[in-house]
Amino acid sequence: MSYQNITQYSSRRQQNWSRNQNTVAFKSSVKLGPVAHTVLVALMITVLGLIYLTQATRATGYDYESQKIDSQIADLNTKKSDLEVENARLTALETVKNSSVAREMTTPASTAYVRE
Amino acid sequence: MKFELQKGSRSRILAGLIFAIMAVFVVRLFYLQIIQNDYYKDLANKEQVKRLTIPAKRGLIYALNGDKPVQLVMNETVYTVFADPKTTSDDNKIIEVIRRIAGGNAKSNLSDLLSKKDSRYQVLATKVTRAQADMIRAEGLKGVGFQENSRRVYPEGSLAAQVLGFVDFNNVGQYGVEGELNDRLTGTDGLLQSVTDISDVPLSIGNRNINVPAVNGDNLVLSIDRNVQSYAEQALAAGLKRTGATKGSALVMDPQTGRVMAMANLPSYNPGELDKVDDVAVFNNDIISQPYEPGSVMKTMTISTGIDKGVITPQSTYVNTDYIKVDDRVIENATKGQTGTITIQHAINWSLNTGMVTVAQRLGDGTTITRGARDIMYDYYYNKFGMGQLTGIELTGEAKGEIIPPTDPEGNAVRYSNMSFGQGMDLTMIQVASAFSSIINGGNYYKPTVLAGTLDASGKYNENTPTAVRRTISKSTSDQVKEVLRVARNSSFSSVDKPGYMVGGKTGTSQVIINGQYSADESVGSYIGYGGTDAARYVIMIQVSGKNKILQGARDAMPIFTDISNWMLGYLRLQPKE
Repeated sequence: MSYQNITQYSSRRQQNWSRNQNTVAFKSSVKLGPVAHTVLVALMITVLGLIYLTQATRATGYDYESQKIDSQIADLNTKKSDLEVENARLTALETVKNSSVAREMTTPASTAYVRE
Repeated sequence: MKFELQKGSRSRILAGLIFAIMAVFVVRLFYLQIIQNDYYKDLANKEQVKRLTIPAKRGLIYALNGDKPVQLVMNETVYTVFADPKTTSDDNKIIEVIRRIAGGNAKSNLSDLLSKKDSRYQVLATKVTRAQADMIRAEGLKGVGFQENSRRVYPEGSLAAQVLGFVDFNNVGQYGVEGELNDRLTGTDGLLQSVTDISDVPLSIGNRNINVPAVNGDNLVLSIDRNVQSYAEQALAAGLKRTGATKGSALVMDPQTGRVMAMANLPSYNPGELDKVDDVAVFNNDIISQPYEPGSVMKTMTISTGIDKGVITPQSTYVNTDYIKVDDRVIENATKGQTGTITIQHAINWSLNTGMVTVAQRLGDGTTITRGARDIMYDYYYNKFGMGQLTGIELTGEAKGEIIPPTDPEGNAVRYSNMSFGQGMDLTMIQVASAFSSIINGGNYYKPTVLAGTLDASGKYNENTPTAVRRTISKSTSDQVKEVLRVARNSSFSSVDKPGYMVGGKTGTSQVIINGQYSADESVGSYIGYGGTDAARYVIMIQVSGKNKILQGARDAMPIFTDISNWMLGYLRLQPKE
């Protein structure tokens, strides 16, 4: 790669030499024509598109994961409700009255009260 | 380098051709994407975007167990098992599995259903539980599917059936709390609008996704105490058996809040087994929907009016005869012989109609039930005690009843003389019990309610605050009437109550009007009373009836009151006084 030494325009104020100021600049000798530019832009768009597709696919993957978890939650909630129903049935008055413990119970002959 | 094609060269023709083809594509795409944009967008949306309803869960109904809510009505997931006969292969195995696992829930003609090979949907079993559905699923039957449904379940069976009501096939509440508070129990369905894949899995791509969560129905906590309700139903059933009555109702209220602790009607039904109901009349809650002539329990309201207006005291005297004439009608007492100078207390003890007519007369000029007396009685009965109008209790089918005002030509002295002892008016038990509660609680009328509060999603019980609607009578009147009722009960039924408590009440025997005339062959027995120590802690009202049956308040209804009252004293852990 070679570089061309060219003179840069300087304002009148900068025409004097001063420290830390460039007096030369390098310009690439490689020139890109319109076709190359078009190809580059197309490539960039393609890359961006691929990035978008990758992200979208990844997001969709999360959707499936989320759906699976939602489904599990719904399933567990249903199971919880069913267990609550079963619990309510087991602790219902009629069930308790007919239990073996209840059958063994007797009415007290007398009742005493503790005075407050 | 300059790229040029020679004029007329094949390359140039090819380039032109490609350009022309591309131009066709561009024009076609322009037509499809720009001009037909809306049409194809709609088509794509219909295909890709799904609108799913997120069903709201119907609210649960709780009763109280002391002060803790317990489930009375719940939701259970059940499944409908269906088959696609066109795709089933091993029908014999399907029949064997469904019969073995679903049992009584399986259809009887499974082979017929599966033989309909041109059909795509045949129900094989309904109301299959989750466990059963899992077992059927595990068999891996080809062409068999499941449809999830929710149904109401009643762990306590028929307990408080008429208070609860039920849910019909369209999931709409009918009767009771289910009917009256259907909107609150139903909640609001949510909406999920989303792009979905081929399996209807919602995807987060797209910018038109909507997710409105469902708002579940309110979980209602009833003021019904399941223990009191259970005992009231049990005592009522025993009472009906003992008396031979075919219908009965028992109401237990907290007079200090207006909350209904038990509301029982017999015959009853199990809301989970509606197919076993023969007579739809059992769905009615007679306590709120069946107005009747209350009979002598109304005497409590009459003496309250007289005392509150200052025209009588319990010890006021009058000369009692067995008959009293009002205009062209003669009114007689059911109990004869209590003649001479007697007190109002004595008239209540013996439930003398003539005593109540005397009170009504004293509200006027002392000898007749003047228009002024009738205005006062109407003001107390209707405006203050809230009788003859809806109480607003949260139950479907409440009836207004009727109290004819003095402005009506029929609201004459004869009618009002009858009303003073409970005839010539139609009231519901809930109206009478609410008025009675205000009389013995110091004079505050509370709107009767079966709703104690709500239970939020985290299970926290938010209790409603009872508020007094209006004052009915003064505290002094209330104390006097409470004492009158205690004395009246003790004078007739001295040893039936647990000692050391304050229990009072009034009997009622109502003649039944059949074909426009009071029947001599049928009457309704009722009893209303209170119990507690210093303050009344409960009001119990009982009513028993039966076609062609003479039923009396003292003989038939009062023992049921006593049974429940004595149990209540223990249940509320009230300490007896010396």
